[in-house]
Amino acid sequence: MLLTVEDIQTYYGNSHVLHGVDLEVGAGEVVALVGRNGAGKTTTLRSIMGLTPPRSGSVRFKDQAIAGEKPHRIARRGIAYVPESREPFSLLTVEENLTIATNPRSPWQLDQVWQWFPALKEIRDRKGGHLSGGQQQMMVIGRGLLTGPELLLLDEPSQGLAPVIVETVVEMLKDLRKSNLSVLLVEQSIGVALDLADRIYVLNEGRVALHARSEEIREDPSRLDAYLGLSAT
Amino acid sequence: MLDNRLIGLVLALAGVIVAPLLLPVANATELLIFALVAASANLLIGWSGLYSFGQAALFGIGGYAGGYLLANTDLALLLPVVFGGLVAAVFAVAMGAMCVRRVGIYFIMLTFAFNQLVYYIAYSWRDVTGGEDGLFGIERPGALLPGLPEIDLNVPINFYILVAVIVGLCFLALLRVVDSPLGQILLAAKDNPRRAGSVGYDIHAAQTLAFAISGFFSGIAGVLYGMVYWIMPIDAVHWLTSGYIVFMVLVGGTSSMFGPLIGATIFILLQDFFSTLWARWPLLFGAVIIAVVMFLRGGVIELVSHVRGFAARRRAMRGEAGNA
Repeated sequence: MLLTVEDIQTYYGNSHVLHGVDLEVGAGEVVALVGRNGAGKTTTLRSIMGLTPPRSGSVRFKDQAIAGEKPHRIARRGIAYVPESREPFSLLTVEENLTIATNPRSPWQLDQVWQWFPALKEIRDRKGGHLSGGQQQMMVIGRGLLTGPELLLLDEPSQGLAPVIVETVVEMLKDLRKSNLSVLLVEQSIGVALDLADRIYVLNEGRVALHARSEEIREDPSRLDAYLGLSAT
Repeated sequence: MLDNRLIGLVLALAGVIVAPLLLPVANATELLIFALVAASANLLIGWSGLYSFGQAALFGIGGYAGGYLLANTDLALLLPVVFGGLVAAVFAVAMGAMCVRRVGIYFIMLTFAFNQLVYYIAYSWRDVTGGEDGLFGIERPGALLPGLPEIDLNVPINFYILVAVIVGLCFLALLRVVDSPLGQILLAAKDNPRRAGSVGYDIHAAQTLAFAISGFFSGIAGVLYGMVYWIMPIDAVHWLTSGYIVFMVLVGGTSSMFGPLIGATIFILLQDFFSTLWARWPLLFGAVIIAVVMFLRGGVIELVSHVRGFAARRRAMRGEAGNA
């Protein structure tokens, strides 16, 4: 397995958020984490990335223990994180936001990002703080890929975006599947998650409540009802 | 962007030519030296978001280190100048590596503490620094490098031209630094340090490097400062000098490396020029700060964008009137 997370316990101050999450992501695999708000999805990604390090448990990437390492070291190992809040560098232009992350050994370079998101190329000189939500999302996904990751942690890429932008992002992520990139995707939209992922983990109150292949969920969407309170259509 | 840079460089060059005609040459020389310190401080303040109140320590360490060589050896000029820069850079690495691990008021207090530490070392290490009396006997050697023909730097305008060349080269180097990936990383870290870390950069290392570069150029400025009046005064390392440097950066503007040049000009005009005309000149400091904070939050350099915006609105209004 490329990424193995075992029994991680993560806290915000005294608040115990993750109560022993276990998950795995294989090479070239897209895995989705779904669950209600507050279930611990974003915290799981932040724990893997070292932004909110787990107090106990193990995170292994390419058979190396990475829990407790600084985020920049984890990034250099080949993990890119695209946060839900997007967080563009507002003082840098779109192009600078992208080139600051460029790793010459990355299979994706700036031209590829312009190809995926031609709208970004048109505003390459605009400051990162002056972008719409969709433009920010495209930019930060591009920025993540330019670091040349083997694993992309993607938090709510469709959150708050217009349907046409969601479509562009989903098409781009499908395109990425051909490149053997592994993706751990947090997604509120079950439709998007099922469309993209090979396997799905459902988190509930900081624990993995269900783990299944996507086709199993598609065959019986009612399996999610107990955790999400809606039918997975 | 390039046009703005070119206009800025042309205006700065014009300022360098005009300054010794309008001000006493020694004051014009000081102006250039403080412009370099302020610009190097802006690498920390404007580009890194690190409000250092320890810049005078770097300025002073460079001044004492280079000044000591100039007072006690016959080395050609550039060697003590570079030595002063390097000693300040080494101290800046130690200072930066500790300070960047704290943010906000704690960062400011740490830089302030380092400044006071250097001040009291300078105060008590009389054999080297001259203590309260300052380091006397700093010479202006004629040769820049061994083998080069001598220029009499005791002629004020010759020394001014030399300082202008050194400050100009250092300023161009600083512009190169802010255009480099390091400049972008510093800006990104100022904006969002955790995110910049997630992209794969060691933010503390980048900020410490910024301290080193800022220290190097401040140290060079310190050596030149010691040569202006042949003495390195202890006031140069006092925390008030750090405050003046922050004043120059903030009043001039942090968004461009040209802002501190404007700030240094305003400072020198207030301190060295108006002080001879009006005994209560420090009141002008307060007035300038209030005016900038109330009306020009980005510093005087923001006037340029205000004027451009005003001109653009005028053109748009004329265009609309013409269409009607």
